[in-house]
Amino acid sequence: MIPMNPPTETPLFGSWPLAYAVVIGALAVEIALFYGLMRWFA
Amino acid sequence: MSSLDWWILGGTIALLVLYGLYKSRGTQSFDDYTLAGKSLPWYHVGLSVMATQASAITFLSAPGQGFADGMRFVQFYFGLPLAMVVLSITFVPIFHKLRVYTAYEFLENRFDGRVRSLTAGLFLLQRGLSTGVSIYAPSIILSTILGWNIYWTNLLMGGLVLLYAVWGGTKAISYTHLTQMLIVTVAMFIAGFLTVHKLPANMGFTDALRVAGKAGRLNLIDTTFDVKSRYNLWSGLIGGFFLQLSYFGTDQSQVGRYLTGETIKQSRMGLLMNGLLKVPMQFLILLVGVLVFVFYQFHESPVFFNQQEVVRLQAGPLAGDFRQLNQQHLTLSAQRREAVLALQRATTQHDDAATTLAGRRLEKADAALAKTHTAVADLVKRNNPAADKNDLNYVFLRFILDYLPHGLIGLLIAMIFISSMGSIAAAYSSLASTTVVDMYRRVWPNSTYDEVVVSRWSTIGWGVFCVVVAQFTNRIGSSLIETVNILGSLFYGVILGIFCVAFYVKSIGGRATFWAAVIAEAVVFICYYLDLMAFLWFNVVGCLLVVVLAWLFTRLWSQESSVRVSS
Repeated sequence: MIPMNPPTETPLFGSWPLAYAVVIGALAVEIALFYGLMRWFA
Repeated sequence: MSSLDWWILGGTIALLVLYGLYKSRGTQSFDDYTLAGKSLPWYHVGLSVMATQASAITFLSAPGQGFADGMRFVQFYFGLPLAMVVLSITFVPIFHKLRVYTAYEFLENRFDGRVRSLTAGLFLLQRGLSTGVSIYAPSIILSTILGWNIYWTNLLMGGLVLLYAVWGGTKAISYTHLTQMLIVTVAMFIAGFLTVHKLPANMGFTDALRVAGKAGRLNLIDTTFDVKSRYNLWSGLIGGFFLQLSYFGTDQSQVGRYLTGETIKQSRMGLLMNGLLKVPMQFLILLVGVLVFVFYQFHESPVFFNQQEVVRLQAGPLAGDFRQLNQQHLTLSAQRREAVLALQRATTQHDDAATTLAGRRLEKADAALAKTHTAVADLVKRNNPAADKNDLNYVFLRFILDYLPHGLIGLLIAMIFISSMGSIAAAYSSLASTTVVDMYRRVWPNSTYDEVVVSRWSTIGWGVFCVVVAQFTNRIGSSLIETVNILGSLFYGVILGIFCVAFYVKSIGGRATFWAAVIAEAVVFICYYLDLMAFLWFNVVGCLLVVVLAWLFTRLWSQESSVRVSS
C-alpha cells in the first residue's frame, strides 16, 4: 500500500521541531563561521 | 547619470508599480484590500516579510556602516532567527485561529478596549515616525544627484508611493515585494562583484579581506558583555531577540504581511524562510561596504562623502581650515596606501613579522584618518549648523556614482527606490488598517461607509503625516538605520511586554497591564533621555517591566480587594 502524504500542516523539513532546529542550527553555524573569518583575517 | 541610467531607473519603477496594480485589479473586499484575501503561499509571504524590513535605509546606511565601522552591525540580527521560531510557535497560530485583521484586535479579546487602544496608539505613533525617516532616506539620493530641494523631494517620494498603495492595497504591495527582492539581490551581487573587479590586478577577494581584517573592518563577533556597547554578541542575541520579536510579532506592518498566508503553515514557513536568509543577506550587504572600504585604499577617497556640504565649506569662511584638513587627509591616505601595499607584499612572501608590522602601520594610519574625518565633520557643523555631521549614508551612493558603469548606476538607484517604496507602502497599509480596525470600527461600530473607501482615505491621511515627519528628519544628524531602530526600540519593548502578558500570564487582567505599560513606557523614555544604556536594551527593559509591574499590580490589587471583602 502506498503511504499517504503527511498532513498539509507539516513543513518542508518533515516536522515543525526539525524545521525550528534547522533555523537555530543555521544561526549557530553562521556565528561560528563569522568568528572563524574574523580570527583568520585579523 | 546618463540617459541610459534614467531609462533604467524610470522603467524599473514604472514596471514594478504597473505589475503590482495589474495583479490587484478587480473589485476588492476589505479582506482583499487588507490581507490580500489570505491567499498567498509561503515563499511569497517570506519575500514580502523580508522586503518590508529591507527598506532603502538598509541599502544606504548598511554599506556605509561596513565602510566606516566594519561588520559588527551584523550581530544586531542574531536575535531574528530565534524570534522567528518563537513567533511560529505562539503568535502565528493564535492570530490565524482568531481570524484577526490586526495584532491589536486580539488584545481586546484578552484584556479590554483600553489596552487595545493604548497598544494600537503606540504602534501608530512609532510607525508613523519611522515611516517619515524611511521617506527621507531615498529623498536624499535625489536631492544629492539632481540638486533638488530636499523638502520637495520628500513630498514627491511620499506622494508617489501613496498613489500606488491607495489604489492596489495589500495585494499590489505583496506582488511588488516579490519583484523587488529579485532586483535587489541581482543588483547587490553585481555591485559586490564589480567592486572586487575594480581592485588592483594583483589583489583578489582574499587579499581584500586580509586588508579589511587588518584595518579592523571584519569585527564580526564581539563577545564582551557591555550594556553601553551598541553591537555585541549579547546585545544582538538578547536585545535583538526582543526587538525582532516585538517588530515581527506586534508591528502591524509585519503582522499584516504574514497574515496574508493561506494557512498557518504558509505563514510559519514564510517566517522561517526569513529566519534562514536574513543574517546572510545582511552579512553580504555589509561586506559590500567593507569591499568599498578596501577599494578606497587604492583610490582617492573624499574627505567627507556629502559633496554638498564640502562645496558649502569651500565657499565659506572656514575654507582655509578645510584646505589644511584635506591636505592632511591626502597625506594620511598615501601613508595608509603604502601600508596596504606593504601588507600585500609581506603576505605574498609569507613574512609574518613584516605582515604584523604592516598591519600595525595600517591600523595607525586608519585611526589618524578617522580623527581627520571627525575634525572635518566638526568643521561642516560649524560652517552650517543645520548640516548632518554623519556622512555614512552618502558613502555607497558616492561610490556608485563615481565608479560603477552606466546602466548599473540606474539599476542600483532603482533598487534603492523600490526598496523604499516597498517598505513605505507596507507601512501605509498597516497604519491604515490599524486606524480602520482598531480606531474607526470601535468609535463608529454602526457606520455604513464602505470600509475599503475609509481605508483608502486613512492611507492618504497617514501619507500626509509621514511626509511632514520626513521634512524634519534631516535634522536628526545620525545614521538613518540607527535612527529607525532607536525609534522602534523606544516603543517595541513595551508593546511586546503587553503581548507577553496576554499570551503567557493568563491571571493578569486589563487594568494591571494598562498601568504597567504606561509606567514602563515612561521608564524607557527616561533611560533614553539619560543615556543609561545602548538602545537595544530598551526592548528588554520595556518588556520585562510590563510583565513584572503587571504581575505586581495584580497581586497588590487582589490583596486589597480581599482585605476589603474580609473587613
